[in-house]
Amino acid sequence: MTDHKTGTPEEWLAARLELLAAEKELTRRSDELARRRQELPWYRIDKDYRFDTDQGPASLAGLFQGRSQLLVYHFMFGPGYTAGCPNCSAIADGFSGSVVHLAHHDVTLCAVSRAPLAKLQAYKHRMGWSFPWASSSGSDFNYDFHVSHTQQEWQAGAVQYNFREMDFRPPAGQESSRDAWSESTFGEDWETYRREGPGMSAFALEDGAVYHTYSAYERGIDVLWGMYAWLDRAPRGRNETGIWWRRHDEYDSQ
Amino acid sequence: MTDHQIASREEWQAAREELLKREKEHTRTGDALARQRRELPWVAIGKEYRFDADDGTRTLAELFDGRSQLMVYHFMYGPSYQAADPVNSSIADGLDGLLPHLHARDVTPVLVSQAPLVKLQAYKRRMGWSIPWVSAANTDFNFDFGASAAQEPLRPPGLDEDGLPPVVAQNAAAAGTDIPGYLSESPAVSVFTLTGGAVYQTYATTWRGVEFLMNYYPILDRMPKGRDEGDAWQTWLRRHDEYDD
Repeated sequence: MTDHKTGTPEEWLAARLELLAAEKELTRRSDELARRRQELPWYRIDKDYRFDTDQGPASLAGLFQGRSQLLVYHFMFGPGYTAGCPNCSAIADGFSGSVVHLAHHDVTLCAVSRAPLAKLQAYKHRMGWSFPWASSSGSDFNYDFHVSHTQQEWQAGAVQYNFREMDFRPPAGQESSRDAWSESTFGEDWETYRREGPGMSAFALEDGAVYHTYSAYERGIDVLWGMYAWLDRAPRGRNETGIWWRRHDEYDSQ
Repeated sequence: MTDHQIASREEWQAAREELLKREKEHTRTGDALARQRRELPWVAIGKEYRFDADDGTRTLAELFDGRSQLMVYHFMYGPSYQAADPVNSSIADGLDGLLPHLHARDVTPVLVSQAPLVKLQAYKRRMGWSIPWVSAANTDFNFDFGASAAQEPLRPPGLDEDGLPPVVAQNAAAAGTDIPGYLSESPAVSVFTLTGGAVYQTYATTWRGVEFLMNYYPILDRMPKGRDEGDAWQTWLRRHDEYDD
C-alpha cells in the first residue's frame, strides 16, 4: 500500500482537469513571455571577439556559421579544469540531440568556454557530442557576458551575475569541503571553479552586424536541462537534496 | 540596417531586468504547478497489460526496470505506418541523451507504440537511439490511455478534417500512411509509480502538454525570431538523417 492519496479514475480525472486549466494558463503565459523576449531591444556588439574553433580562428559573426541566429551556451570549463562541469554536461546531454533540428531552423547553437580548444575537443569526444564548441581563451567574451569573474570581483563579494551582484564565496567553515569537492571534480579549488558560471546568450546577425538580443542565467537556464521538464512531471518531482548529477559516464550504475 | 529597435547596452539591460521579473514569477508559478501535479490522487492499475519488448513479453510493472517511477511517451507509430514521423523522431532525439540522468533520479522513460515490435526495432536502429521502446500491439494499453483509436481518428479538440494543421498531412506522408491511418495515434505522456508491488497512474498529458518533450521549443522561445513557424508549425522538422546538407 502507498501513503499517497489514491482515488478512482473519475476522482483522478476531476483533479487532473482542474490542474489542466492551470497548465494551460502557464502555457499561455509562456507564449506571452516569448513574445516579450522578441520585443526586447537589441544592442550592437562592436568589440572584436576572437574565438578558436575546429575550423580555426573565428569572430563572433563567424560562430553563426551562415545562419542569422546564434545561441551561445556558456559552458563552465575554465582554463585549468581537468574536465567539463557536470551540470553543464547534463545540460549539453539535453540539448545535443536538438542541435541538428535548430540548425535547420536558422539557429546555430554553439558552446563557448575559456579552456583551450584542445581540452574542449578531448572532452567533447569523451562525451560523444557533435555540437560546435569554441574556446574564448584570450578573449574578454566570457567576462563581458558575466560568466567569468575576476579575482577582484570575487574577493569583494561582488560578482556580477544574473543582472545583480552576488557573493559566491563559501560560508565560513565550508571552504575546505567545497575545495575538496571541486578538486575531485575539476582539479581546481572552489574559487577557481566558481569564477566560471553557466548561462546562455542569444545573438542576431543582420547585414554583417551582430546584435545581442537575450541572456539568461541561474534558473533562467532550467529550460535547457531537458531532465527537469521530465522530473517536474514525475511522482517524486525533482527530489533533490544536493548535487546528484554526474557526467553521464560517471554514474555508478544505471 | 535592421528594422528591429536598437538600443544602448544600458537600455537593453533595463528592459531585460524588467522582463526578468516576469520570468522569475513564471518560474515560481511553474514550481507551484509541479507541486500540484505531485498532489494528484493516484489511481491503482488493476488490469494486466503485456507488452512486446526486446527481451520478450513484459508487464507494466516490469517496464519500470527496477526503478519506482515510469514515464511512458506514447510515441506515434501506428500499425499502418511505414516509419515514424519527423516530429516524434525529434522527441526521441532529445530524450536519448537524458536517459542516464533520469535513471539516476529513479525515473525510467520508455516509448510505447501500437505498431509491431519488429517495425519499432528497425526504426530505432536506423535512428541510433538507445531508449527502451516496446510494442502495445497485443494489449489494450494504448487504447485505455487514449493514445490509440481503433475506429475514429484522433485529432486535437475542435478540429475537423479541413481544420487540421499542415503538419498532419506532411507527417502522414512521411509515415507512409494516409491521414486517417496517421491519426489512429495521438501524442501523449502517461506517468506511473510502483510501490509495494502495485502500479498506480499519477499523471497524464497530451497535445501542447507534451511540448516539454520538444526541447528545441524553449530554446526558440529565447531566440530573436522565436518559433518562427506561424500556422505551419513543426513542418520544418525532418528526421535527423534526412536534412539536406
